[in-house]
Amino acid sequence: MVDISDTLDCRGEVCPYPDVKSKRKAKKMNSGEILKIHVDYPLSAERIPDTMKSMGNEVLSVDKVGTSEWEIVVKIK
Amino acid sequence: MAIDILTVLIPGLILGIIFGIILQRGRFCMNSAFRDVILLKEYKLLKSVILAILVAMLGFAIMSFTGIITLNPKAFSWGANIVGGFIFGIGMVLAAGCASGTTYRVGEGMMGSLVALLGYGATAYFTKFGALNPMAKFLQTETRITNSDGSSLTVFGDLTPIFMLIIGIVGIGLIAFFWIFKELKAKKEENKPMLDFSELGVKIFKRGWHWAPTGIAIGILGWFAYVSSAAAGRNYPLGITGGWVGWNKFWITGDSAALGWETFLVLGVVIGAFIVSIIAKEFKLRTPKDGKKILIQFIGGVAMGFGAVTAMGCNVGNILSGFPLLSVGSLLAGVFIILGCWVMAYLMFMRKS
Repeated sequence: MVDISDTLDCRGEVCPYPDVKSKRKAKKMNSGEILKIHVDYPLSAERIPDTMKSMGNEVLSVDKVGTSEWEIVVKIK
Repeated sequence: MAIDILTVLIPGLILGIIFGIILQRGRFCMNSAFRDVILLKEYKLLKSVILAILVAMLGFAIMSFTGIITLNPKAFSWGANIVGGFIFGIGMVLAAGCASGTTYRVGEGMMGSLVALLGYGATAYFTKFGALNPMAKFLQTETRITNSDGSSLTVFGDLTPIFMLIIGIVGIGLIAFFWIFKELKAKKEENKPMLDFSELGVKIFKRGWHWAPTGIAIGILGWFAYVSSAAAGRNYPLGITGGWVGWNKFWITGDSAALGWETFLVLGVVIGAFIVSIIAKEFKLRTPKDGKKILIQFIGGVAMGFGAVTAMGCNVGNILSGFPLLSVGSLLAGVFIILGCWVMAYLMFMRKS
């Protein structure tokens, strides 16, 4: 299990808030830190990993943790 | 007047359910498509929208040549198209969903979208039949330009059906060559199978669809919608705003004649999205934690309702159905929907960062 440096809870948020918030958060974090993003919006669950990858970050896991709930774990480059 | 079950209710409802299924699975929302081009540099949904328009265009051209449908492009009223389109575009960013996106998200259990839909449906009705009508009517009649025989302006005049055919074929060919083959080639280079049909059930019902099948499916649905809707006496393909206006008219006046093909289509979209989101375990009643966001979504819905009726169509009527018909009015309204979307997305999400 990796150590989570920071968690972002975007549950209940509609598109594009989860995408924009996670992008802003990832930009502020330091290299090597781990960010866990909690979302319940399907489109964001699919796109946040893509956005993170295009920023150069490493997506460690995307897990469906419940009905329409996902946890995305990202390692900042 | 009784509702005609066989030509109005059942076909409208079934096509609506299919529309809802595709929208939910493909996460097909034009607000996201246009907005995220500037916000996230994300183009997949936009590709889906372009492909859907081209597939619809090709089908409409062929069906027009074979006499199956009569082309019925929307009118050109530049003032109404510009003002209505721009206000609609601003509204859909605030509401976090276009007309079709907001409708299908209600079926997914998004309560913010339900609030937006209430504002949208009500204001569309007030603009069509109530206190806001004079403003819309003024813009529509004072700036209207038609052909000399009174028909709607299209980009290529009498040659429009031929150009629809050509643009459809060439456009789909270019997309296949530059976008689809490129993706398949990249897959091949990674030594992945180019088309993987294993776990097809999981891919269809559990994961989001790829942009290309989504776009093609929506384009083809437009063909069936045109034939079915015309048979019900409404000679136009897919639409959303008219459906919600129809429901409001029925509730307010009790006149069941207001319940046309489009009203059952929009109801079907909600039902279809509900069914597939349950199957995919994506249905959940959820609401933004911040009360302000719900208010903003409501205001967005209000702007969308006024904009859509003034511009004589929402993103579905003007872009998904109107672009394929090469109506000058729809194209102008569509451009201003996109501009409104970009201006609002910039003000809301990009200025601060």
